[in-house]
Amino acid sequence: MAEQTTDTELLALYREPATREKAFTEIVKKYQQRLYWHIRRMLVDHEDSNDVLQNVFIRVWNALGGFREDAQLYTWLYRIATNECLTFIEQQKRKASVSLNELESGLSNKIKADKEFDANKLEWKLQLAIQQLPEKQRVVFMLRYYDEMPYEEMSRVLETSAGALKASYHHAAKKIEEFILNH
Amino acid sequence: MEWSNEILTEIQEIAPLLGKSGPARNPYTLPVGFFENFPEILMLRICMDSAEGLEIGKKITDISSPQEIIEISPLLAGLQHKTTYQVPEGYFESMNTMISDSGMLYENASLTPEFAPVVQISSGKIANIYPELKDSGKNKVFNFSRVLKYSVAACVIALLGLTLFNLNHRSITDPINGLTTVSDQDMANYLDADDIHWTPGVSSTSETASVEFSDNDIHELFSNVSDDELEQYVPSLPLNKGSVN
Repeated sequence: MAEQTTDTELLALYREPATREKAFTEIVKKYQQRLYWHIRRMLVDHEDSNDVLQNVFIRVWNALGGFREDAQLYTWLYRIATNECLTFIEQQKRKASVSLNELESGLSNKIKADKEFDANKLEWKLQLAIQQLPEKQRVVFMLRYYDEMPYEEMSRVLETSAGALKASYHHAAKKIEEFILNH
Repeated sequence: MEWSNEILTEIQEIAPLLGKSGPARNPYTLPVGFFENFPEILMLRICMDSAEGLEIGKKITDISSPQEIIEISPLLAGLQHKTTYQVPEGYFESMNTMISDSGMLYENASLTPEFAPVVQISSGKIANIYPELKDSGKNKVFNFSRVLKYSVAACVIALLGLTLFNLNHRSITDPINGLTTVSDQDMANYLDADDIHWTPGVSSTSETASVEFSDNDIHELFSNVSDDELEQYVPSLPLNKGSVN
């Protein structure tokens, strides 16, 4: 199976029982890295990210048969991944009985605990700054800044208007810059 | 990683610091080979979670236990039949003898599953399962619910008996209760005859009894004590107690 197989071709192969597993594996290979990093930036911890990524693809496996091609596959995948991340964060909060602020400081502590962490480097400051953002702004910023997702696609992922997403990205970028300048 | 012009222009307008040197490098690391192995691990989990007939699932269900552990971890496979625990020498050889000596096995009894099927004891219907036992007078059927009833009844009777015993025993051993049968005259005669003087005090805890000595008894008691010693002792006595001659 060639690497350049389009999503439409992969979905057609997935619908054939004989090629179902191979097509799904190709979809996993094609999107695993993008989804992993999207999840990892949200959750920081690799093990948590690995678990959530597996859950995402299990959901995809179960629901791909009913996927309607009126949306792009990668938009749909991002939507599942984002929802899984938010659900995971919610579960963590409930499990540990902590507030959102405590959870965010916990994520910041995880970043600081990374053996590669260097408080003077811009990329680490940026990660700390991202964790200070509210959840929705965090997702918007990462989808735009790292994944370069168009607002129209993002509005399908997050079910929010493109205008609101632009405003959200603007606020998020401003907050991050301010955080970096003050730390 | 390079941004598209659209993203770059946008971020430079909003936050020049973030757009100055392009997108920040990703600082996170992950285990080596993670993405190479991920699809396989994922498919393994999917076929574990769902009972659908995946090819990989068939491979897993067909594989034998020893073969499975060899494929997962040859190191663990090598350790599979090694145990760190020890048993006394000849333990398993003497097992049959120990069991028969303990009287657990009856002569001619067979412990095969056919002879001893698992049954619900609480149902109390073993006699229905073994009608031949029901008919024969030798073998009594163990009825758990009946035994339970008798046990409860026995416990209640024992508890009542113990309570009554305690009540009776307490009334006999109490000395005050015992004196209720003695008449006042008998009591007065007893006290006069034995020269015992009982002086009730202010409260029941300070009640005292004294014994009266005759003059001869006192002389006999103090025969070994010199007059000087007695004179030294007298001033230490309280005044209201009187003196000894």
